[in-house]
Amino acid sequence: MKILVPIKRVADPDNANKLKISSDAKVDTTGLEWKPNPFDEYAVETALRLTENGANTKARVGEVVVVMFGPKEAESTLRAALATGADRAIRIDANDADLDGDVVAQGLKAIVDKEKPDLVLLGKQTVDSDSNQVAQLVAEYLGWPQATFAATIRSEGDKALHVGREVDGGTLHLKVTLPAVVSVDLRIVAPKSVRSAHTAEGHAYPDGVRFAALMAIMAAKKKPLVEEKLSDLVPGATRKIEYTSFALPPARAAGIKVKSVQELVQKLKAEAKVL
Amino acid sequence: MSKPIQAINRYKADLREMSFLLFEQFRLGELLGRGPFENWGEDEVRASLAECYRWAREVIGPLTASADATGCKLEAGGVKTPQGFKDAWTKLYEAGWKGIAVHPEYGGAGAPHVLQILVEEILSGANTAFTMYSGLTHGAAEVIEAFGTPEQKKFYCQPMYNGKWAGTMCLTEPHAGTDVGSNRTSAKKNADGTWSIQGTKIFISGGDQDLSENIIHLVLARVEGAPPGTKGLTLFIVPKTRVSADGAIQEPNDVSVGAIEHKMGINGSATCVLNYGENGKCIGEPVGGDSKLNQGMAQMFRMMNGARIMVGVQGLAVGSAAFLNALEYAKDRKQGSSIANFKDATAPRVPIIEHADIRRMLLDMKARVEGIRALAIKLCHHQDSLRSLGAGDDQKIAYHQGQVDLLVPLVKSYGSDQAFRVCELAIQTYGGAGYTRDYPVEQYCRDSKIFSIYEGTNHIQAMDLVSRKLSQAGGANFQSFIGDISKFVAENSAHPVLGASVKSLGSAHEALGGAAMKLLTWFHTGQVSMVPLNANRFLDMMAEVTVAWLLLDGARIAHEKLAKLDAAQPDHAFYSGKIQAALYYARNVLPGVDDKARLMLEEDRSPLDIEDAAFATV
Ligand SMILES: Cc1cc2nc3c(=O)[nH]c(=O)nc-3n(C[C@H](O)[C@H](O)[C@H](O)COP(=O)(O)OP(=O)(O)OC[C@H]3O[C@@H](n4cnc5c(N)ncnc54)[C@H](O)[C@@H]3O)c2cc1C
Repeated sequence: MKILVPIKRVADPDNANKLKISSDAKVDTTGLEWKPNPFDEYAVETALRLTENGANTKARVGEVVVVMFGPKEAESTLRAALATGADRAIRIDANDADLDGDVVAQGLKAIVDKEKPDLVLLGKQTVDSDSNQVAQLVAEYLGWPQATFAATIRSEGDKALHVGREVDGGTLHLKVTLPAVVSVDLRIVAPKSVRSAHTAEGHAYPDGVRFAALMAIMAAKKKPLVEEKLSDLVPGATRKIEYTSFALPPARAAGIKVKSVQELVQKLKAEAKVL
Repeated sequence: MSKPIQAINRYKADLREMSFLLFEQFRLGELLGRGPFENWGEDEVRASLAECYRWAREVIGPLTASADATGCKLEAGGVKTPQGFKDAWTKLYEAGWKGIAVHPEYGGAGAPHVLQILVEEILSGANTAFTMYSGLTHGAAEVIEAFGTPEQKKFYCQPMYNGKWAGTMCLTEPHAGTDVGSNRTSAKKNADGTWSIQGTKIFISGGDQDLSENIIHLVLARVEGAPPGTKGLTLFIVPKTRVSADGAIQEPNDVSVGAIEHKMGINGSATCVLNYGENGKCIGEPVGGDSKLNQGMAQMFRMMNGARIMVGVQGLAVGSAAFLNALEYAKDRKQGSSIANFKDATAPRVPIIEHADIRRMLLDMKARVEGIRALAIKLCHHQDSLRSLGAGDDQKIAYHQGQVDLLVPLVKSYGSDQAFRVCELAIQTYGGAGYTRDYPVEQYCRDSKIFSIYEGTNHIQAMDLVSRKLSQAGGANFQSFIGDISKFVAENSAHPVLGASVKSLGSAHEALGGAAMKLLTWFHTGQVSMVPLNANRFLDMMAEVTVAWLLLDGARIAHEKLAKLDAAQPDHAFYSGKIQAALYYARNVLPGVDDKARLMLEEDRSPLDIEDAAFATV
């Protein structure tokens, strides 16, 4: 199975260097530490699990291609995916400021037309803008079936996937015929969430996303990474969404002590307006 | 009922600070991409640190407190390591972190030392006791790689570098600790050409464990008829289990574990009494073969640099973890109100980080930790520069090698001493919570005490500095060191922000030069016992001068970068922190160097003059 996995880098939420808002109300990203969007890491992990037998994580049955829209310095995010096992990478040269979900989806369609994967596998959303749009848009542009928020995936050869989606009160099971677009949720990296056609029944992975071994990090730079131009893929691409301004959430005000339950109830009604 | 120990990771590292040192202060980029680091670029260095950090936090970090609580057990003659260690050992070697600087010939990645020690910092910081086993293994393999016969290298190095087998360093005996020359373990040549080993070693880290298929002990022993003292010691390769020529595991080699120690810290690391040849059936071979008898100490000495640097880095690792945990707690714990509102009993409670004394402790810890890290990187950068030089550049080779030799005792001693002090301050920052096992700092404090003792006590390091290193190359190494600082002082004493501190550095490094002269005078005027009396003090002075220099140099770079950033930008706080830490150290620690120099000139002899009976009446 050939799988295309789009990935994005996001500002590392654990780093003390936080996103700042500049004086003209724009997002200022200088000096930030970057890391791959966690849901995209889950997508890469899922793609790797779908193209191996579980017992041997070095031999791939099929191909995993990672693709990113971003500037040159973001290539390290692609290399990190190559180090965990992806086969090759494509970077579509673009600045974050020129992108929105729609431009990315159109670009992905163009890449899919060239690469002809069996599956486009994405994180359900990025943890920076939380838009949750690309999977749905790209499925629409391609005219392919889609399954979003996958919590489990079982593959039936190269023909179809059984996708489990967690919904209120249970799990919804879908069968999607390939080619298709699937976006993944958090639980997809649980030990038994993903089974390829080659994985032994009952095989359990370590929980979470696999580690890249040092030697794989060193070897990643020898794996193919090609660059494409956004203007070649989507001539005249323009954003449909304009961000007019950004503001940080207000700092939390200090708490107060109330004297009685009555006062509390009164304040919850009158001030907090939650009752 | 006592509270259960939780399997959660407490380790944190500041990767931004690490990348600052590597790429901004020490310009590692200039050494990358060409021999012998042709496979390494900035991306690989950053990716390795990030991934190693993730690995350490997820795999070994969660075992730290539980391993401390359970410790090691001696069961049926063998050591049982804490739960999770075996699995972590397998994962460590799968991930390849121990091979980062190993020569590609043995399956390693040939990385620069500056990166290797940061990886070591991360592993040791996440779990000190666990990392001991692989640390000793690596050191033992390096000895065989450096001095073994071609057959020994081929046979032992690869399996020791890839974790199939482990290794130990067996020097200490009950009556021979610091005094290695009193070693009594004996070696006797057999008719079949093998050597029989007999004796008892104590305090052997990783002397036994259940992690690897075999253990290769490196044992200092005296061949029958060899001269007394260190000159008569030979280093033997003694496997726990015998191995056939094709590498198959065979019968036990008569090495038994007499006991394991119950210790203050590093409880997950088994510290063993080992008996060799109780049944006359323990065989070994000299490292380098029979032509290398009586060269054990020389071989050990060459390798000690690496081991001593690693102990300093253990200190750095634990000290840094203690600081970062204390910092997190200080931002969270609310207690008292701001001193500005001292009259108002209802003033809002503030996080303790707002109290001046807490801020003092935090900045003190930050400056010391970052100072030790810069010191260790400085040393390793000399090693990497050395490796990058082609043959023929004799002057530069001599310079870098000289600086390495000079800085090793500083990294070992200052790194380990300061680590313990930082841990103590971290506990103080927490208050009562820090004294409990709910937080990691009390364990860090216990774990870190050993660093000033093993691998040569810190006094032995200080004596190595004052009696060997200062006079090495006719004093040229020390003069180059002083010269490097003089140059920095001359170039930066008019700096708008750091100038006054740079001038203090100038005064301190002159005081240091004067103190070195004083040591020399004592040597030459029959007052030799004044030298050991002042050796540790001198080492501290030299380390403080070096750390102040490196912190100020970092601050100089931070100041340049800061000028190009506006205050809203994220790196602004990082760079200004570098400047504040350097100023703090230069203003609060560095003046002590002049004081200590003055004390040396005053030649206090009271510890020498006091009679033994006068210390106490009991
Ligand atoms: C947890 C742990 C792990 C260890 N791991 C290993 C290991 O793997 N392999 C190994 O071989 N050893 C190991 N050791 C032993 C360690 O290296 C020794 O403890 C150390 O060398 C000091 O020796 P000692 O304990 O016998 O102290 P002593 O030598 O008795 O020293 C006691 C004190 O006297 C001072 N002193 C001794 N001689 C002199 C002198 N000539 N001049 C001035 N002062 C002096 C020392 O500095 C020290 O303060 C380990 C020890 C511990 C506690």
